[in-house]
Amino acid sequence: MASQDEEFTMLFQEFYPSLCRFLECFMGGRVALAQDLAQESFLQLHRTAWGTLPVAEARFWLYRVARNMAINEFRKSDTRYRLFDRVVEAMRPRTRNPEQEYETQERKTLVLQMLQTLPEDQRAALLLREQEQLSYKEIGQVLKISESKVKVDIFRARASLRERWSKKEKTVGAGVG
Amino acid sequence: MNCSFTEKVSSLIDGELAPAEAREVERHLLSCSDCEQLRDDFLGLRSQIASFETALQPAIQNRALKKILSRQRRVPSLQWGFGTQAVAFATLLIVGAIIGLIVYQSKRAPAPSETALVQTPSPVPSATVEPSKQPSPEPVKDTKQPNKDDKETQSPRRTAPVKRPPVREPKPGEQFAAIPEHPRSADAETMTAIHFEKSETLLRAFRNVRMNEPGAAAEVGYERKRAQQLIVQNMMLRREADAAGDVQISSLLESLEPILIDIANLPNKPDPDAVRVIRERVERKNIVGLLQINSTALARALD
Repeated sequence: MASQDEEFTMLFQEFYPSLCRFLECFMGGRVALAQDLAQESFLQLHRTAWGTLPVAEARFWLYRVARNMAINEFRKSDTRYRLFDRVVEAMRPRTRNPEQEYETQERKTLVLQMLQTLPEDQRAALLLREQEQLSYKEIGQVLKISESKVKVDIFRARASLRERWSKKEKTVGAGVG
Repeated sequence: MNCSFTEKVSSLIDGELAPAEAREVERHLLSCSDCEQLRDDFLGLRSQIASFETALQPAIQNRALKKILSRQRRVPSLQWGFGTQAVAFATLLIVGAIIGLIVYQSKRAPAPSETALVQTPSPVPSATVEPSKQPSPEPVKDTKQPNKDDKETQSPRRTAPVKRPPVREPKPGEQFAAIPEHPRSADAETMTAIHFEKSETLLRAFRNVRMNEPGAAAEVGYERKRAQQLIVQNMMLRREADAAGDVQISSLLESLEPILIDIANLPNKPDPDAVRVIRERVERKNIVGLLQINSTALARALD
């Protein structure tokens, strides 16, 4: 049991931050909700699937469960998290200088806004590719879709973001690269 | 852009093309400036998305892990692949022992008093669990052996009042972490007690609004504002209780939260049915009673 918990701890330390990031981007910057859902996903893994699932597949299981929960939560009326996100944002420690902080925040907001324009499948596939560096096959396993759909979804997501980014570039003067 | 290679450019940067196809696309890029630009833009997008940082504090991460590990895991069902023969052998042994015991006892004809001594008392169900001051990972077991003299010698003396809130009776199937890992600070407990009192007052007032009387909408409007003020506090206290491992307080706050949200989200002129539904939920969950018990217990503990 102890070694199982140690293994679980290692998995948690490695993937909890990236799962939070995935959920935050997937849900348009809902930090508190993302952290709660990431925790809930790991809790479910620990209570139900841990020990019966090969460790290599636990990561895919986590992303799949987290994404499903995110879709469910996202469609609900989530006033409490909107309020809580404001509290979290207000209490967030700020270590950089204000100018740098502002730029980082602007960039994050822009990325989140752009991602929100994508359909859920495309957004999830693109995030799993760009942030988690999963292969098309692995993304297919997580999202329960075929590799060819993953390929098309990622391409469409990129093409769509590129177009929007270039429009934004024209209005704001900010480049993609 | 109508080049037939665009989709392949996307697959190329993901390393998902077969070597021959990848070489073909790379050769194409040398001659097609549109596709080259496309690749650069896709790579630019990648760097924007990949460099996104989430604001996660290590303390929150550690608390989350601790909370997960503290929850009891479901016991996996017995798998017949494991030691079937051993299980069969153990069963045979037990059955043999039982038969032997029955045969042995039938030959002895025991005296009634002897039988009474052999009987093992069933454990006495206790309504409350009193956590010891030093939290221990193992639940405290009562090791005292029952004695027939106990009935006579036991006096109905009262133990000193324990300064902890009473333990809520678990619902069927509900699991509890018995003892908080880290006692909550007096400040947090004071805030929780005040919050419970305020919520209790709110819910009582909400319960007493008569929807068919004039001025009912204004009253509901007032309670709605109070609920809005209490939501954030509720969330913060719930998180704090979660972090401290205080399951009892946390679960009460968790039950309270959707009710506060529902009241806070009522429209200016609420439908009497919507109000009735919320009231019924309050009644069903016995929230008012639980709030009263816990706020009193917390206040007493802080005296």
